[in-house]
Amino acid sequence: MTLKTLQKTAGFTLGEMLVAVSVSSIVLAAAVASSVSLQKSFNAVDNYFATLIQQVRIIDYLSRDVNRGLSVTTSVDLQTVTVNLPNYIIQAGDPEAVGNPSLIGTPRSPTISYSSGSMQINYGASTSTVVYSVSNSSILRTENGAVTTIASSTDQLVPQTTDVELANTECVNSAVTFMPIFTMSGSPAARTGTSLYSTAYLRNKRRG
Amino acid sequence: MRILRPKSEEGSVLICVLCTILILSLIAGNVLFSCITRYNVASGQVRGWKESLYAAEAGGDVAYAEVRKTVFDPTHAFNGWTSNGTGYNNTNSPITFGRDNLKASAAVDVFQYDSSGNAWYRIRAKGVAPVLGLTRVTMDDRVNSGTRGDSLLRKIDFQYDHFVAAYGPNGDNVGKAIVPVSGPQIARRIELIAVPVTPFSDTAIRATASFYGPGSAGMVDSYNSANGPYYFAANNPSDPHYSDSHSGSIALGSGIFNLGGDIWGNVSTNGGNVTAGSKIHGTIDNNVPFTIPPYVMPSNLPLPQASPSKINGNVALTLSTAGSAGVPNYYVVSSFSGNLTINQVGSAQTYVDIHVTGDITGSIDVKPNVHVKVYFDGNVSVKAQDIVNESGVSGNLQFYGISPTDPTVTQSIDIASPGNFSATFYAPSADFHINGNPDVTGAIVCKTFYENGNASWHYDRALNSVGERTDYRIASYVEDMR
Repeated sequence: MTLKTLQKTAGFTLGEMLVAVSVSSIVLAAAVASSVSLQKSFNAVDNYFATLIQQVRIIDYLSRDVNRGLSVTTSVDLQTVTVNLPNYIIQAGDPEAVGNPSLIGTPRSPTISYSSGSMQINYGASTSTVVYSVSNSSILRTENGAVTTIASSTDQLVPQTTDVELANTECVNSAVTFMPIFTMSGSPAARTGTSLYSTAYLRNKRRG
Repeated sequence: MRILRPKSEEGSVLICVLCTILILSLIAGNVLFSCITRYNVASGQVRGWKESLYAAEAGGDVAYAEVRKTVFDPTHAFNGWTSNGTGYNNTNSPITFGRDNLKASAAVDVFQYDSSGNAWYRIRAKGVAPVLGLTRVTMDDRVNSGTRGDSLLRKIDFQYDHFVAAYGPNGDNVGKAIVPVSGPQIARRIELIAVPVTPFSDTAIRATASFYGPGSAGMVDSYNSANGPYYFAANNPSDPHYSDSHSGSIALGSGIFNLGGDIWGNVSTNGGNVTAGSKIHGTIDNNVPFTIPPYVMPSNLPLPQASPSKINGNVALTLSTAGSAGVPNYYVVSSFSGNLTINQVGSAQTYVDIHVTGDITGSIDVKPNVHVKVYFDGNVSVKAQDIVNESGVSGNLQFYGISPTDPTVTQSIDIASPGNFSATFYAPSADFHINGNPDVTGAIVCKTFYENGNASWHYDRALNSVGERTDYRIASYVEDMR
């Protein structure tokens, strides 16, 4: 004897199909919406983190140059910082290098001079100049005319307090902000919340 | 009997699970892929960058401490360091410290001697910090819409020391080599210049314990012997030397301050109650503490001459060589009660150092262009007219009181009328007494200062950079960015 099972007993009614399709559509729509939101959030966080790292880089750059600087001045609009640095490394075209090209890229020996009764340590007859400036949403570092973009999408370099001379010590307080890409109507508070502050001191006695 | 089973439906569940896991894995991988560079930069590279500077500065501090030992503890200066003939280094045995095993090393060399024979040191320090975290890097120097400039600032040695490979171990393009590193690391290098602190910088009279100043007819002002001989210009702003005339400053390490005459300079005390008045023509600060360490005999002097061993009667030093600030003609005498004359060698600038192991009660006559330092272990008791410095430049005759080994013992320096003199005294363990109305050009550092009379003191601003080193300070900081 052969027992036969019933075929096509699992069919759906039209009503069941409509309900199932409706529920599936809702679930799928929710999944797609969530995915898009998740992707946007991820992009925003990724951008935020990447820009934060650039903030740190700006601060590190500035601190490094201020530490070894001889003087620091800022523009009236607080968008440009100029640092004078010792000319520690001999460059092509420097007087020493003209007579002896093998000296290019080597450190200078320090020399001493006295000005108004004060002693100075010098590396070469002149100094290097580094200018930090804001250009649209980028921060530029210009050393003796050579421009390097050190950060993009970080759009504000604001020295808070400048030229503070305390017992032959000068410090520069700086703040760097940016506008996150994922904000509600670009409120100022969103920018303020990204502020990164730093204080750097000149290790050398200020000149000029 | 054959039973026909319905087709299995469990297989689709397995496939769904696998697909779900695959999708989740792809998402997680993408997240990790995107985050890992940020994580490396934030957690490892920024940290290593900063820590390597801390290590370099620690190396500089250690080297600076050794430089200071050349003054305060010469026998132990640079113990354990490698000498290469021109300087010292510990580059082969760097100091390791901190939780991350930071490494600090330094090389120290003398790059010049000043007019007083003091060494000026250059310190080159290197700090190395490991780059912790995951090894994946994906670094790029560029900054644009698609790149982040991860390695723009921070140079990381992943396998080889880039500095040695590109510039040589000393950065002078000598000895370039491919040197592997034990692990990813960041190295930063700084150069410091340690310059000698001279005893009379910017202060006419410095006393640690008490100050009883000149009477109402006396005063303290200043001039600069490099610009000509002294004359009074402190009350004439139109005088060309006016700017040099207001550095007759007094620094007191306690609050015991008494004054009768004019001070054409600044006054600082430690807890005193000095107030502005018609007598003090500079600034007043009653909260400036300081200490002066005991003065020890310098250890860098050459071997002494055989004679004279005593200065009794009339003694004239006629030298065969002029010497130099770093290598002077050096004498050790047990007593100084006679009359000493020191002559110039030809037309050369002549340098003489004398160590008096006893007291000084005699007279000294220093001819022009002769530079004399007198170190004394005992006391000084002379008349002002017994101190003859014919050039009138006080830096040419310097007295140094060696501090007694017993700190309860106090030296004494007594100078009586009549006469005037030009000289400096650095005797941080001595009580200094001066009587009468001598006219003095120079400067003094002592324990107590007591003036019984109306002496006038004229600080010579040329002393700013003159004299035996009493300490070192860091005067320059440069970072080697390569």
